[in-house]
Amino acid sequence: MRALARPRLAGLVLLAVAAWLLPYQLNVYWISVADTALLFALLAVGLGLVMGIAGQVNLAQIAFFGVGAYVTAILTTHDGFAFWTAGVLAVLATVVTGLVVGTPALRIQSHYLGIVTLGLAVAFVDWITNAPVTGGDSGISGIPAPPLPGIDLTSQYLYYYLELFVLAGGLAFGVFVVRTPLGRRMRAMRDDALAASAAGAEVGALRMIAFVLASVYGGAAGVLYAGLIHYVAPETFSIADMFLLLAMVIIGGRQSLAGCVTGAVGLTIAQQELVNLAAYAQLGYGLLVVLVVVFAPAGLVGIPGRLAGWRSRRRGHDGPGAALEEFQPLAPGAAEAPVCPEGVILEVSHLVKRFRGVTAVDDVSLRVRAGEILGVVGPNGSGKTTLFNVISGLYRPSGGQVRLDGRVVSGSRPYRISQLGVARTFQHLRLFGNLTVQENLQVALDRTRTWQSWRYVCWPVGVWRHDRELRRRAAELLTAFGLAQFGGVRPTALPYGIQRRLELARAMAAAPRLLLLDEPAAGLNGEEQRQLAAIVRSIRDSGVTVVLIEHNMGLVMSLCSRVVVLDSGTVIAAGVPAEVARDPAVLEAYLGKSAVPSPPPSPSPSSSPSSSPSEAPS
Amino acid sequence: MQSFFQTLVSGLSFGAVYALVALGFSLVYRTMGLVNFAHGAVLMIGAYVASTFTLSARLPFAVAGPAAMAVTGVVGLVIERVLRPLENKDFDLMLIGTIGAGTVLEAAAILIWTSAGRGVPSPVRTSPLVLGGVRIPPYDLLVIGITAVAMVALTLFLQRTKRGAAMQAVAMDHEAATAAGIHVGRSNAIAFAIGASLAALAGALAGPMLYVSPTIGDSLGIQGFASAILGGFGSIPGAIVGGLGIGVIGSFAAQSFQGYSDLVTFVVFTVLVMIRPTGIFGEKTVNRA
Amino acid sequence: MSRYRLGYPAAALAALICLAGAACSAPGSSSSSSAAGGGTPSGPIKIAVVDAQSGSSSDLGQFEYRGVRLAVGQANAAGGVDGRKIALSLLDDQGDPTVGTELARKIASQGAIAMLGTAESAVTLAMAPILASEHIPNITSGQSTKLLALNSPYLFLNGPTGLTYDSTLAKYLVQKKGYKKIALLTNNDSYGAGEHDAFLAALKSLGITPVADKVVPQDQTNMTPALNAIRGARPQVLFIGAEEAQSGLTVKQARALGLTAVVAEGAPAGTPLYLSTAGAADANGTIVSSPYLGNDVSAASRKFAAAYTAAYGSAPELHGAKAYDGAEVMIAALKACHACTGLALANAIRAVHYDGLLGSFRYNKQGVGIFATSIGIIRNGKIEPVS
Repeated sequence: MRALARPRLAGLVLLAVAAWLLPYQLNVYWISVADTALLFALLAVGLGLVMGIAGQVNLAQIAFFGVGAYVTAILTTHDGFAFWTAGVLAVLATVVTGLVVGTPALRIQSHYLGIVTLGLAVAFVDWITNAPVTGGDSGISGIPAPPLPGIDLTSQYLYYYLELFVLAGGLAFGVFVVRTPLGRRMRAMRDDALAASAAGAEVGALRMIAFVLASVYGGAAGVLYAGLIHYVAPETFSIADMFLLLAMVIIGGRQSLAGCVTGAVGLTIAQQELVNLAAYAQLGYGLLVVLVVVFAPAGLVGIPGRLAGWRSRRRGHDGPGAALEEFQPLAPGAAEAPVCPEGVILEVSHLVKRFRGVTAVDDVSLRVRAGEILGVVGPNGSGKTTLFNVISGLYRPSGGQVRLDGRVVSGSRPYRISQLGVARTFQHLRLFGNLTVQENLQVALDRTRTWQSWRYVCWPVGVWRHDRELRRRAAELLTAFGLAQFGGVRPTALPYGIQRRLELARAMAAAPRLLLLDEPAAGLNGEEQRQLAAIVRSIRDSGVTVVLIEHNMGLVMSLCSRVVVLDSGTVIAAGVPAEVARDPAVLEAYLGKSAVPSPPPSPSPSSSPSSSPSEAPS
Repeated sequence: MQSFFQTLVSGLSFGAVYALVALGFSLVYRTMGLVNFAHGAVLMIGAYVASTFTLSARLPFAVAGPAAMAVTGVVGLVIERVLRPLENKDFDLMLIGTIGAGTVLEAAAILIWTSAGRGVPSPVRTSPLVLGGVRIPPYDLLVIGITAVAMVALTLFLQRTKRGAAMQAVAMDHEAATAAGIHVGRSNAIAFAIGASLAALAGALAGPMLYVSPTIGDSLGIQGFASAILGGFGSIPGAIVGGLGIGVIGSFAAQSFQGYSDLVTFVVFTVLVMIRPTGIFGEKTVNRA
Repeated sequence: MSRYRLGYPAAALAALICLAGAACSAPGSSSSSSAAGGGTPSGPIKIAVVDAQSGSSSDLGQFEYRGVRLAVGQANAAGGVDGRKIALSLLDDQGDPTVGTELARKIASQGAIAMLGTAESAVTLAMAPILASEHIPNITSGQSTKLLALNSPYLFLNGPTGLTYDSTLAKYLVQKKGYKKIALLTNNDSYGAGEHDAFLAALKSLGITPVADKVVPQDQTNMTPALNAIRGARPQVLFIGAEEAQSGLTVKQARALGLTAVVAEGAPAGTPLYLSTAGAADANGTIVSSPYLGNDVSAASRKFAAAYTAAYGSAPELHGAKAYDGAEVMIAALKACHACTGLALANAIRAVHYDGLLGSFRYNKQGVGIFATSIGIIRNGKIEPVS
C-alpha cells in the first residue's frame, strides 16, 4: 500500500497543475462547459457521499441544488442581500432541507426512501414553478456575481478558479470523511446496517449526517450556479436532471468520490458534444447505467482494479497463499471487572416476542452469571436466535425484560447495548463486504459516539490521530486472532472458516463484557471446531462472559458450564450439561439424537412440533 | 353538490387508471421485491404502441389494446433478463438499473415517435350519461370495468394457478423454491412481463383520456407508485383502494390548490408513508433476510 | 477506495502541453470571441438558429426552423447579401434555459453574427444578457413582456407582445360582442402565466372582473376538475392561456363536461395542432387572436404557403410564418448595412421597415415591431377573419 503513495502523489500534483492551466486552453464556449462540469462534479460528490458511501437512496439531490440556487437568487434580487451573505444563508437553508428530506430515512430505506425523496424533489419543482416569489416558470434573472477583491468574477475564466477551489476543498474533505472512522461507520452501515448497529454505530444519526453532507455540497453547488449563470429557472432542477446526475455517479463509480467527479465531468462533456442529438445522448447514458449496474457495479473507476485482479488471477499465484495463523491467547482477566449484582451479568425475565401472530419466544427466563459459558440449545425454530436478537436490541420485546448488570436494557437501541458492553456474532455471517478485514475490525474498535463528529469540522487533527490509533489496535487484534496476513483483503474473498474467525475477532474488538455467539461452529470442520473451542475458552479466561447457541452437542458439552434448552419458544430444561442431557423432556424434543459427541447433526424436523421461525421477517 | 359529484366521478375514472398502474407495480414488488422505476416508461410505450395500432394500422381498440400489452410484455421480459444477475442480490443496484432502463425506453420512444404528442380518439363515441347533472363519459365506465376485471384475473392467477403459486413461493424463499424445482429466473420474467402488460393496458386506456406524449408515463407512474404504497405495496386490493384514493385526492386537490396540486398530493403522501410505511393493507413482499 | 493508478506518462504529457500553451496573463484575455468576428469579410455570413428540437416544444422549434430556412434559401438563391451566402447552424436548446446560456457562448465562439430564436421566452430571457455582452443581435419568437424589461438593444421580437394579443382579444369580446361573464383557465409556465396577467389586465382596463380564474400545471392533461369549477360559474366565454396541445385538450374536455361557453385564445388556437387535439367539432367557434390567421388571408401568405409546401410537403402555420418574417427582417438589415455586425447590425434591424406576413414591421426602442393582431373565428376547421 505504501509503495503506491509516491506515484499517486505525483499523479495528483500533475492533475492539479493540469487543472490550473486548463482555462488557458479553452475558448469562451468550452470554459463555460468546464464551469458547468465542475458544478456537477461538486453535486456528484455530495450524492456519492450519501448514496455510495452511506448507502442512502437520495433522489432529492437536485432539489438541494435548487434550494441553494433559488435562495441565493431570491435573497440577492428581492431582498438586496450581498452575495456571500446570501450564499451562506442559502447553504444553511439547504441543510435544513437536507434534515427534512433525511427524516424519512430514519424509518424507511431503499425503494421507499427513493420514492419519498423523488416525491419531495417533484414537490420542490412544483413549488418553484408556482410560487410568485420564485418568479414562476420564468425564473429569476439579474443575480449578481460574487464580489472578490481584485478579481472580476463575471469572467467565466476566473470563476473557474473559484469553482476549482471549492471543488478541491470539498473533495478533500469528502475523502477525509470517507477514510476516517465516520466514513468507515457509514460504509459499514451501508454494507450491513444491522451488524453495524450491533457494533456500536448509531445508524439514525449517521443517516442524518449523510443527508446533511449531501445538502451542504448541493447547496454550495447551487450558490455557485447562481453566481455563474446569473439566472435560475425550474427546468434546470427537474427530475430529468436528477436522473442525469444519478447516471453520472453510477457510471463514474458511486463508492469512489474520484469516480463521481469523473462521471460528472465525462457526462457533461458528452452531453455538450451531443447537444443536437439529445435523444441519442439520453439513450446512451441510460444504456450505460444499465450496463454498469449489471457488469461493473463499481463504475468506470473500478474497471482498472477489476482488470488488474482478472489479470493476476489468470497469471496465477507463485508462492504460498495467505494462511491463518495461530490464535494468541488473550491475557487472562484482561476485560473489565464486571459490576453485576449477585454476580449475574444478564437476566432475562419472562421474555415474550411475538411476530404477527407467531410467538417466537414465550415466557423465557434465564440468568447468566459473570464469567461462565452458557449454552443455549434447542431444535430449529425454538426461538434461540430471536432471543439473541431481543437481548442485543435488534427487536423490542412484546413482554418481559432484559437486564444487564441490573439495568433494564430491553427496548434499547442496538448501539446503546453495544456501548454497554455486549457484542455478538450472527448465525448467517454479517461481515461488511465492501470493507477490508482490517476495516471491519476498525469499525468495531471505534467506541466513540456520533456526536463527537463535530471534530471533523473543528479539530480534524484529533480525528486523524484517533484513526491512526484504531489502525494500530486493529493490527494488534489481527495478529492476536491469526488474521494478520488477510488485513487488506475483502471478507468475501476469504474461506468460510476464516470469515467466521473474523466475525469473532470483530465481536471481541468491541471489548465486550458479554459475548453472544450464534452458532459459531456451523460449517466448521473438526480442526476448526477445536480451534474455536480454544478461542472461546481463552475469551472466557480473559474475563468475558459467553453465551453460545450451538447445535453441535460435543462442543456444547465440552465448553459450557451450564446449558439452557429451548423448544417452541419456552425453556424446557436448564442446568449442568450432563443433567440436561438426561432430562426426559430434552430427550423427547431431540428424539432420535444421542448426546455423545458427533459430527454436526442435520436438524431433525420430525421431532419438533413447532413451526414458528426463529428468524422472523425483519 | 353536483360539482362535488362531478369531481368525484372524474377522480374515480383516473383513479381506475392509477389502480391499474399500481397493480403492475405491486405484482412485481410482491414477487421480486423490486420497485420498478421503469414502470412509467413502460406505460408510455404501451400508450404509444396502442395509439399507433389504432391510428396508423386502424385496428379496433379491442385489438390494439391486447396487441400493445403483448408487445410491451416482451419489453418487460427483456428488462428482466438484462437485470437478472442482480436479482435477490443487490436491491438498490437493481432499482438504479430500472431507472436506467426507463431512461432508455423514453429515449427510444422519442427516436421512434418523435417528442410531439398525439391525441387518441375515444373508442366509445356515445354521448355521456347524465345523472342528476353529473356527466359520466361511458369510456370512463369502461376503464373502471376493465380495471375490475384485471384485478380479479390477477388474484385468481396468483391464488389458483400453479404459476401464480410458484411466483409467491419464489417471493417467500427463492432458494427453497429452486430446491422445489421452480425456475426462479423464469418465474420472475413472467411476473415482470405481466406487470409490464398491466402498465401497457393502463397506458392504452389512458391514451383517449389524456394525450399520448413521452411524458405521459412520468406523472401516471408517480401517481401509480403513490397509489401502490398508500394501499400497501404488494397488496392487490391495496392497489385498487390506493389508486382510487389517490385519484380522488388528486381531483379535489386540483380544484382547490390548482397549480400546486402535485405538491399537495405529495406532501399528503409523504406524511402517510412516514406514519404507516406499509400502507392500508400492509406490505407483502419477498423475504430479504 | 479508488486505487486507480494515474497514467504517469499521460499526465506528464498533458501537463507539458498545457504549459506549452499557457500565456503569462490571465486566461481568456486573448479569446477570439470579441464582437463576434463573423468570419472574414468574404466568407459566408453565419447566423445561428436556436430552438427546441427535443422536448415538449420541439414541434414549434421545427416549424420555426423551416420558416427560417425558407427565407434564407430564397435569399441565397437571389445572390445572398453582397454576394455572400448566409450559413445557418441549428442548435437544440432542449427548452432548458441553462442549455440556452451555454449555447449563447457556443454560437459566440463559433463566430455567429446574429441569432434567430428561441420560441420560449424563458430560454430567451436567460440567453439575452450573454448575447448582449457578446454583441449578437437576436430576433426571437417569444412574446413575454418580461423580455422588454431587459431593455437590451440587441433583442427584437418577430411578433406582437402577449399584451397586444390579449388586449385586442379582450376589446373584441367585451366591446364588440358585449360578453360580460368571462372565465380564465391558464397554465403555470411562463407563457401561461404571462397570458394570465396580460388578459386579466386587459379585462380590468375594460371594467370586467372574471367570474372564474383557474390555473393548471403545465404538464396537466386532465383539466376536468378546473373546468368543473368553471362550469359552476356559468361563463359566456372561456379564455385559455396554454400551449396548443393543452388548449385543445381543455376544449375537448370542456365540451365533454357540457360547458358551452365560447372559447377564446391567443396564438396557439390558430395552429393545426390545436385543431387536431381538440377535434374539428369541439374547436368550432373558437375565437382566435393572431397576427397570422391563415395561409389564404392575403396574396403574400398564399405565396409563402405555396413555397413552404413545395419545400416541406406540408402547409405552414403561425410559427413558421413568424420565423419567416423574422428571418426576412434580419436579411433586410444585413443588406442595408452591408453585412455589418454587433451594435451596427442591431441598429440596422431597428431601422428596417418591412411588410411581412404578420403585418408591417416598425421597430421601437424596446425591440417590438408589430403592434396589432387580427381576430378570427374557427369554422369547419379553418379560421375565418371577422370583419
